[in-house]
Amino acid sequence: MSKLVVLQPTKQPSLSLLPSSLSDFNGTKLCQIQYKRKVWQPKGALHVVASSTKKILIMGGTRFIGVFLSRLLVKEGHQVTLFTRGKAPITQQLPGESDSEYSDFKSKILHLKGDRKDFEFVKSSLSAEGFDVVYDINGREADEVEPILDALPNLEQFIYCSSAGVYLKSDLLPHCEIDSVDPKSRHKGKLNTESLLASRGVNWTSLRPVYIYGPLNYNPVEEWFFHRLKAGRPIPIPNSGVQITQLGHVKDLAKAFIQVLGNEKASKQVFNISGEKYVTFDGLARACAKAAGFPEPEIVHYNPKEFDFGKKKAFPFRDQHFFASIEKAKHVLGWKPEFDLVEGLADSYNLDFGRGTFRKEADFSTDDMILGKSLVLQA
Amino acid sequence: MAALAATSSSSLLFFSPPSKLPSTSVCPLPRLCLSTSSSSSSSSSSLSITPSFLAYPTSSRRYSASSFTVRASAAETKKVLIVNTNSGAHAVIGFYFAKELMGSGHEVTILTVGEEGSDKMKKPPFNGFSEIVSAGGKTVWGDPADVGKIVAGATFDVVLDNNGKDLDTVRPVADWAKSTGVKQFLYISSAGIYKPTDEPPHVEGDVVKADAGHVGVEKYIAEIFSSWTIFRPQYMIGSGNNKDCEEWFFDRIVRKRPVPIPGSGMQLTNIAHCRDLSSMLTLAVEKPEAASCNIFNCVSDRAVTLDGMARLCAEAAGLPVEIVHYDPKAVGIDAKKAFPFRNMHFYAEPRAAKDILGWNGTTNLPEDLKERFDEYVKIGRDKKPMQFEIDDKILESLKVPVPV
Repeated sequence: MSKLVVLQPTKQPSLSLLPSSLSDFNGTKLCQIQYKRKVWQPKGALHVVASSTKKILIMGGTRFIGVFLSRLLVKEGHQVTLFTRGKAPITQQLPGESDSEYSDFKSKILHLKGDRKDFEFVKSSLSAEGFDVVYDINGREADEVEPILDALPNLEQFIYCSSAGVYLKSDLLPHCEIDSVDPKSRHKGKLNTESLLASRGVNWTSLRPVYIYGPLNYNPVEEWFFHRLKAGRPIPIPNSGVQITQLGHVKDLAKAFIQVLGNEKASKQVFNISGEKYVTFDGLARACAKAAGFPEPEIVHYNPKEFDFGKKKAFPFRDQHFFASIEKAKHVLGWKPEFDLVEGLADSYNLDFGRGTFRKEADFSTDDMILGKSLVLQA
Repeated sequence: MAALAATSSSSLLFFSPPSKLPSTSVCPLPRLCLSTSSSSSSSSSSLSITPSFLAYPTSSRRYSASSFTVRASAAETKKVLIVNTNSGAHAVIGFYFAKELMGSGHEVTILTVGEEGSDKMKKPPFNGFSEIVSAGGKTVWGDPADVGKIVAGATFDVVLDNNGKDLDTVRPVADWAKSTGVKQFLYISSAGIYKPTDEPPHVEGDVVKADAGHVGVEKYIAEIFSSWTIFRPQYMIGSGNNKDCEEWFFDRIVRKRPVPIPGSGMQLTNIAHCRDLSSMLTLAVEKPEAASCNIFNCVSDRAVTLDGMARLCAEAAGLPVEIVHYDPKAVGIDAKKAFPFRNMHFYAEPRAAKDILGWNGTTNLPEDLKERFDEYVKIGRDKKPMQFEIDDKILESLKVPVPV
């Protein structure tokens, strides 16, 4: 199950220099393309290269989803380019990933350096390259996607990482792909992008994850719980704790991205992608403890209205029910999640937090406000 | 590759986003989104009743239904016996099932527990049994333990037990069915047997409470029948309902009384229209191989919160609603008498029915509740004088004023 094993973002920058010939794109002008085009033939398989090997661009790809997705794509024999500003290392060795696997991947992955907000550059560099497929993993606004579509008139497929956050809040759940969306949501940029794609006549596919988790997560979802469990602190959960949310493992999401590639059934379709089961807030605290081998946590409920946390987030989830049905993806794509919640959290813990790595330092200031008040009330 | 029209390209056109607002859907087609449904030899129905029990059909792949597929078995008329309870929330299931079966050309007999002349028969759905009779169905009464005598030696292809909650009650029916060569035995169990979980929804195959009466029945029929199907329903609405569901909310809303809901009001439940339960049952009769040796959550495909149900009832009535939350223990009232739903998440999804039978739900609470409210008014229940003793006790303890 876990061939893709996780990255250890160590404090020193790792050696992620690509051979210079692969980084010929810079921010302002077109350079001659000088990288080697290696088309990797899968062992023993008879492949017709033209139809099976694609020239794929990933917008983003160096932080979380793309780290896993790019490896899968490269393993399948595609030529994969990551479009990033180069702020994060282009590649990093994942914990558990063998040296040879990593160097193989590293030698094949390509980088196109640029700022996707520089629409002119995006258009010209992409048009010069020509790509068969684009995975847009980090796009937020529709205007970021226009130059990509303009640059690639013969694009076979545009695959977009949207969000279940676009759904209109409802008393009737789970959210399904046919449900109403909220044009005023925080994620309206994602919605606008989906609309743009639909209006442009391109072959598009949009995946809507809920909360993504797994090793390398830069959103402190499971990490938030792990910090408290490790510190032996109670877990403060707003209101009743019966609010239901849903987590989807990043590796399952990466697989879904693979399964829609070149898939007719995915053409101009939206799919919710997340875990099979949902979970209550209280239940998630317990699941994290179970996954990481901590004793069952003490949970403290509080009324968030009684506090002013300022700009800080006291809890990593939206304080409401929020979950989506994945039945469409299961029926149409034949995709299904491999990880159940505790297994997935264990995977994340064993490959990331449990090894001493995390993205955000623990910050218990809001916890202390909450716990301080409840101590006062008990006194 | 099976040349099943149902598999590769069948499209299930489904309308009705259940949500209320005009959809600013991304899908360029207004309100009509095509979804293809491939056949699935689904393993999502891990069909254990208890963790140690596996009754896995090893037969060939399951077909998903397409409304465009010609079902060969539909041409075959079945003789169906429904053993029906004479009261309670499940009573109405037999009524809808009977009508739908007859609509599809099958022969139906309903054996209702007890006596035809009893007071219980004055309540819905029994007081609507003339509909069954005029559609050609037979209605008989008696003790299910005497089923053979009551049906006077008639034989049936299919038997549905929509009555027994424990093995003692169902065993005589099951044994008789087996001995007379009934080909398909169906049983209405309950989603209430699932063990509470941190990870909803309840899905077929999840652990059930070993001591639940229904579980004993499920085990037994799975042992003795080669073709059995178990249905686990939750709550339902529909004309002819024997037990209050939405009415409980309407009673308070039309009288401008606060609606007291225990706990946070965020608890999820599942309320289906009876026609959804009936369509699932009918599909099982018409696709016996697919249905065989399977458990199906017999519920709608959407959950609703308790607060949400109150809101939807109010919207259906075109009236405002005031929701008040309380802790039943703190108030000291009998939680069951105070409120018709469980004070916890009670939420199953009909995944197996969709995967294996190709069933689709049509429950649309916002719309269905409007119809229910129209009937509620039509029968004059909005004007009926009522006492709200328990409500008053709750509201007093919370110091909430009530209009006189």
